[in-house]
Amino acid sequence: MALQESILTAENLILGYHKGRISKKVAENISFSLEKGKLTCLLGPNGVGKSTLIKTIMGQLPPLGGKIQLNGKGIQQIGTKEISKKIAVVLTEKINSGTLTVRQLVELGRIPHTGWLGKLSEKDQFKVNYAIQATNIQYLADTLLSELSDGQLQKAMIARALAQDGEILILDEPTAHLDLVNRFEIMHLLRKIAKEERKAVLVVTHDLEIAIETADEFWLMQCGLPLVTGLPEDLIIRQEIDVLLPNDKLTFDKISGKVQTLNESKVMAIKGPNPMNKWLALALKKSNISPLSEDTILEIKESPFSIDLKDKNTFQSFSSIDALLVFLKKNRE
Amino acid sequence: MKNRPTYLLFVLGLVLCTLLFVANLSLGSVSIPFFEIAGGLLGKGFVKSTWETIVMEYRLPKALTAIFAGISLSVSGLQMQTFFRNPLAGPYVLGISSGAGLGVALLLMAGSAFGWVVYSGAWGIWAIIIAASLGAILVLLLMSITAWKVRDSMTLLIIGLMFGSAVSAIISVLAYFSEAEQLKLFTIWSMGSLGGTSFGQLKGFSFAIFLGILPVLWMLKSYNAMLLGEAYAESMGINITRLRWGMIISTGILAGSATAFCGPIAFIGIAVPHMARLVFRTGDHRILLPASALTGAIILLFCDGISQLPGSAQTLPINAVTSLIGAPMVIWLILRRNFSKEF
Repeated sequence: MALQESILTAENLILGYHKGRISKKVAENISFSLEKGKLTCLLGPNGVGKSTLIKTIMGQLPPLGGKIQLNGKGIQQIGTKEISKKIAVVLTEKINSGTLTVRQLVELGRIPHTGWLGKLSEKDQFKVNYAIQATNIQYLADTLLSELSDGQLQKAMIARALAQDGEILILDEPTAHLDLVNRFEIMHLLRKIAKEERKAVLVVTHDLEIAIETADEFWLMQCGLPLVTGLPEDLIIRQEIDVLLPNDKLTFDKISGKVQTLNESKVMAIKGPNPMNKWLALALKKSNISPLSEDTILEIKESPFSIDLKDKNTFQSFSSIDALLVFLKKNRE
Repeated sequence: MKNRPTYLLFVLGLVLCTLLFVANLSLGSVSIPFFEIAGGLLGKGFVKSTWETIVMEYRLPKALTAIFAGISLSVSGLQMQTFFRNPLAGPYVLGISSGAGLGVALLLMAGSAFGWVVYSGAWGIWAIIIAASLGAILVLLLMSITAWKVRDSMTLLIIGLMFGSAVSAIISVLAYFSEAEQLKLFTIWSMGSLGGTSFGQLKGFSFAIFLGILPVLWMLKSYNAMLLGEAYAESMGINITRLRWGMIISTGILAGSATAFCGPIAFIGIAVPHMARLVFRTGDHRILLPASALTGAIILLFCDGISQLPGSAQTLPINAVTSLIGAPMVIWLILRRNFSKEF
């Protein structure tokens, strides 16, 4: 692993805002260190203060207390113009400027670097082209924004942020509203950017599974608790990931890598090859079906596919999980 | 962005503007041949001295006024649409034109109630211009104070509309109590007129336009950033507060002076920026600013040509013509394309 280079640090930060003379605290005990070349995922429930944290990082909202420093200098002491050269963002706000092409959008990212008229120098052009290539959207360069799909638009927005050429890239829920393939593509793209460009990439996301797969670092935010930071795998092993799940009906299952309901009801014994019995178990769990009797055994067979249900006085064969569920439900009544 | 069509469009636009300008001079109750005008303007002199008087004293100032008003209204409309990210914003939404109207209404109608007879002779026109400017500045000041207190653009837009409504209500009250003659004067003013501006006033008008457009040149980059909304613009180091002030001052001067010199002229401010976007197919304000100015000049020259009712001695009020042409055009724009997406 390359040597660690932290670019943004915070100590005991208190987030919030002033409303008239009253100051409203949103979150406190926030300490972190954002590192170059790492993909950091910020996870936490809605309303916990993730957006407030981003605004504070961008210097738009002064913290109520604590320290936050960019390259060793207090954020509040750096002008917005200087910050815009260091930090680029992709926000959740919807862009509806249909008269722009993708290339023009990416060119807008150079605004902090250009003169008063916004004329692009050769270096600016180079950065724009580079951002378009890095995000793999060359084929879209002359397309109008109004003609893009959500996934394509998100890549164009990332290209714009990349062209802004800061050391920090912050993305607020970049994969919301995207389909499965696009979600993976975007997160892997961000990981690639972090690694290849040595940028500090901070992603706010609710997509735990993809985050576990791609992030180098997790920041977990929960109401009233200090910010938990660490390597995702460490947090999972220490079960600290459950910070995200204050509800005692949910837990993070270390084996499947998924959030699961704590279901105490007995599960039927299932025999059979692995991928299939896993899905059968899930189907039974979801419909909350308990065994008919103590010695009920389910056996799943691969080819031809069948599920056999055996106990003292029954032997029944089913051709699909659905058929089995229908039978079990009817039997219970 | 530096592709040929843009240059070509500008050249075509300039040619069209020149042709309309000369055509505008040749139209009217006395028809003067097109080539006579072209020759006269190029310094060859006119065949008849009456033609020279008509062209130089009346038609030239009027055509120039049309160009100036077209430029100032379009440029202020463009700024408002981008700043408020609202395709229906225009110079009227901040209540600036209504403020100018209030100034004139007070002068013409309330004045008479107190026995002032301000409106008389050549001074009358200046009195109207000063009253309109004061009214526009008053509303501008109110809006500035509001902008200082309110950070949200949408709130500012709504407050601007409310100012406009309140001012219109005051004008109605004044109109209700005023005498028929004063009411008629005000009604005629409110229909707009490009004529009646002298060269002296044109100097003032052009200076106001210069003052109003100057800050826009500094804000072009900021307006481009605003295409992505306030939050993104701020993340790119744009000072939104400064931009808001610049926008209010610039549109105030531009729309205020146009209303002061010509009365309220409808639709140019809303429709022209959309036409410029449609024709030039860009969102880049470095192109849109000159494009809107040029389109505004063309459209207002064209509308003025129509208002002359070529071949007759009658003229139509300019406001009626711009509305008659502008309203169907906006409807057509909305129906033809996905308006809000295009914007």
